[in-house]
Amino acid sequence: MWWLSFIPDAILQQAILILIFIGVSLYPVAFFATVVPGGKRYKPFIFAAATVITILGFYFEGSYSTEMAWRQRVEEVKAKVAQAEEASKEANTKLEKARKQKQQVRVQYYSTIKERIVEKKVLIDAKCELDPAVAKIHNDAASNPAKGSVTVEDVKK
Amino acid sequence: MKKLFLILTVMLAGCSTPVPVTVKFPDAPREMLIACPDLTTVDTSTTKLSDILETVTGNYQKYYDCRSQVDDWIIWYNTQKSIFDKIK
Repeated sequence: MWWLSFIPDAILQQAILILIFIGVSLYPVAFFATVVPGGKRYKPFIFAAATVITILGFYFEGSYSTEMAWRQRVEEVKAKVAQAEEASKEANTKLEKARKQKQQVRVQYYSTIKERIVEKKVLIDAKCELDPAVAKIHNDAASNPAKGSVTVEDVKK
Repeated sequence: MKKLFLILTVMLAGCSTPVPVTVKFPDAPREMLIACPDLTTVDTSTTKLSDILETVTGNYQKYYDCRSQVDDWIIWYNTQKSIFDKIK
């Protein structure tokens, strides 16, 4: 009944209430039909119509209430999602700020260490001459033996 | 009868309405999407300890940069999870 969404809610609600009202009002009409001369034969039809209209009215009222409850729930969730997205952005900004601060500390710290190496370079190299194998072993240790063996694409498969 | 089928089809098309609320997967800070660099190697002909020391120091720095990135990913994940878990 998606096309009902084109009808304004207030009008829809009023139409449903009018339907229930008509349905319920038809019962006394059916009762009084017996009083009116010649009206007795219409009683079953009026009674049936009253029953059908009343049932339909309450059915629509139930559907309308459910629809409204769902719409309200959707609005609540939308609001929560918007709130969460805002909180997410805020958390990212905080994290980025903290990251930059930590990065700055590390850069400063390692600059100091590198300056100390430069200062003591002559002293360090004077007392020790390395075998060329040291550089080779160092480079082997610095290389990643598992590099390229597992890719993101492999994990996705 | 054909018209009735047509009307029913049009009306039932409303049943394919998409889900009204969608949650976008949160974005992570761009710098965190950069992979950790490879460790630096030294010139194989060097015999100077200072060269090795400089390279090792640089590599330590790279390690701590990368470790920090992993730690930040953990923080990011836990924060985002706690934020989005509240949507119920």
